[in-house]
Amino acid sequence: MPFKHLKKAFQLTAVASLVSLLAACSGGTSGGPAAAQADAAANSGSGSSVSPEGRVVLDYWTWWGSETRRPIIEKLVDDFNKSQDKIFVKHSYYPYSDIFTKELAAVSAGNPPDIMMNDINTVQQRASKNQAMNLSKYVERDKVQDRFFPELWNTVLYNGEPYALPFNTDTRMMFYNKDDFKEAGLDPDKFPDTWDELEQAAQKLDKKHGNTYTRIGYSPQFNSDWNLLQLNFDGGRNFFDESGKPVVNAPAKAEALQYILDNAKRLGQKNIDAFKADFGSQQANPFLSGRVSIWTDVTNFYTQIRDYGDGINFGVAPLPETKEGAGHWSVGGGFVIEIPYGAKHPDEAWEFLKYMTDVEAQTYWAEKNFDNVANKEASNSSELMSNPVYKASVENLAHTKLTPNPLNAPDYMNLINPQRDAIMLGQTSIQDGLNKAQADVEKLVSGK
Amino acid sequence: MAHPQHAAARRGRSLASREALQGFVFVSPWILGFLLFTAGPMLFSLYASFTNYDITSQMAWIGFKNYDTMLNHDPLFWKSLRNTLYFVVISVPLQTAAGLLLAMILNRRMPGIRLFRTVFYLPSVLSGVGVYVLWMMLLSPSAGLVNLTLSWLGIDGPAWLTDPAWTKNAIILMKLWGSGSMMLLYLASLQGVPSKLYEAAELDGAGRLRKFWHVTLPMITPVIFFEIVTGFIGGFQIFQEGYVMSYGNDPGAPMNSLLFYNLHMFLKAFKVFDMGYAMAMAWFLFLIVLLLTLINLTLSRFWVHYEGGEQ
Repeated sequence: MPFKHLKKAFQLTAVASLVSLLAACSGGTSGGPAAAQADAAANSGSGSSVSPEGRVVLDYWTWWGSETRRPIIEKLVDDFNKSQDKIFVKHSYYPYSDIFTKELAAVSAGNPPDIMMNDINTVQQRASKNQAMNLSKYVERDKVQDRFFPELWNTVLYNGEPYALPFNTDTRMMFYNKDDFKEAGLDPDKFPDTWDELEQAAQKLDKKHGNTYTRIGYSPQFNSDWNLLQLNFDGGRNFFDESGKPVVNAPAKAEALQYILDNAKRLGQKNIDAFKADFGSQQANPFLSGRVSIWTDVTNFYTQIRDYGDGINFGVAPLPETKEGAGHWSVGGGFVIEIPYGAKHPDEAWEFLKYMTDVEAQTYWAEKNFDNVANKEASNSSELMSNPVYKASVENLAHTKLTPNPLNAPDYMNLINPQRDAIMLGQTSIQDGLNKAQADVEKLVSGK
Repeated sequence: MAHPQHAAARRGRSLASREALQGFVFVSPWILGFLLFTAGPMLFSLYASFTNYDITSQMAWIGFKNYDTMLNHDPLFWKSLRNTLYFVVISVPLQTAAGLLLAMILNRRMPGIRLFRTVFYLPSVLSGVGVYVLWMMLLSPSAGLVNLTLSWLGIDGPAWLTDPAWTKNAIILMKLWGSGSMMLLYLASLQGVPSKLYEAAELDGAGRLRKFWHVTLPMITPVIFFEIVTGFIGGFQIFQEGYVMSYGNDPGAPMNSLLFYNLHMFLKAFKVFDMGYAMAMAWFLFLIVLLLTLINLTLSRFWVHYEGGEQ
């Protein structure tokens, strides 16, 4: 009977669609402990002889998939797995662009990873929205707080309680080409101390062929901008004062903009734009290819100079200051390691957090990546300090500020940046633009 | 036992209802999928747009507050809506015209025409970040190929992606490059125009322009209409371009000139977790697109010509 066949066909269809539904449901997360172990076994092909059998398997998400970084993170995970027999950490890599929304979805679905690397400036936001776990009971028990630089520790606190552990940080410094300095008649061992001196030195470093620049000494618009300079000019203060009141139109911030505009006027904004746009289209960094003599960057830019700089004779110095004694303020960023809210094995995950922020792992991380790490002792290790660039970067941390997003105005930069653009394009005066930005941010903060 | 006539009637009824049942069974995976993965989330998002939903911590009813904030207190909302409208209004007609022109050029018999058709269609197969990065290079003010070409003609090209007056135009220009998929549909519809109509027009002494105006164009109006409607809907969804091609990693920069509606919505949802607000924006966009599509449908009565008379 044909109907019988139909019935069978229907049953098959139903089963098939059910199976595909289930497969779709479990697509994002690993399907249960069995699958997790199978995954882990497959993953451990990267050199590990440790087996996850009988252990608590932890899922650890990072975006470190590059050839340089992935082996480093996997070595650390592997060492941890070998060191004890109760926990097995499984490293999963997701691209930087996806990982945070993926984590958010996993947290809200109640099935988050056990350990997660995350952005240092948004810990409070996640803490306030139940996305990260409160770690105070572990921190009180194991007394890990003193490991970290206080400035970094502050970023993980929400209502006075920690929701993550600082992992690494960075600081912006000035890299300069010593040969260019010599050629221009400048002292290659002395980087300009104030912004005015820098501008004078930059003029000497510029090189022109006809009407076009073949080399530009320095522009604050190259890999840096007003968001960095305003903090330096304003004694290390970002866009909010101690009490949380916006200070976007403070006089020092206007002076920083004026400095950038004066520089642009001298060089011609068109020339600067042309240089900037061309950066993206060339393989080599403009500092490495000799088109720019002074370059602002985070300190692990050193690894690029080392690997691709072709023996370039360079020096590194703090950002200048406005006047003698005003302070060489700089800005830093970085990452934290945290336990997402709702993770199933926080006790075990905490063991891994402790391990990752302890001296040994942090020293290894710093050596291999040339990153500034959050652990003070690791950061000051004698071997690392024997490298003058690393030493300079650690010293620079003393006047480096982090700029965590305020809770009541997490997207305040969306209101400031357009005004900065308008001022840079000459569409509004510095004071009008900053006043407008100030008013917009005030409105945002007051929530009206 | 049963009366033979009744039995026959019952068999008849049950055959019909069996068929109906089988029909429903066959479409059930789709219906189930629609209810679970489309209708369900849609209703949820409508509800969430009246709450302060932030995905992980709270969901309290706040009435029309999100809509009020959106319309009265968020300057970036209007900015992003204006940006998107500008893009749609200029880009859709331009793309429609470009696609048609391309199809006309490629709708002829000559050696190698298949190759040309493929080449012009190719860009619409490519998509995503790679293409945008490529275009950022092409549009670079001094070293980019676009301005280099312009300079040969003695034109001093603009700073496409850094000057807020030009950024949206740069995106519109870039989008023209992908008119290939439209071209394909036009090409198909052009080849569907019966040749007897052209022959009749020729007998009446019509030139090329008249033939195009009085035969070709009316015959392909349904496809033009389709392209315009889907173009509008797709145009309102522009997002990636503002996210990827904005200057210096600030989404929407410079001066928020590339802050498109969906980009603003995305930033609200996933950067500051203001999901309720983002959902309110989504529903507002839905209303706008619905309204425009209805207007389009109404207007189509006056200019879209269906072969075989009124349907």
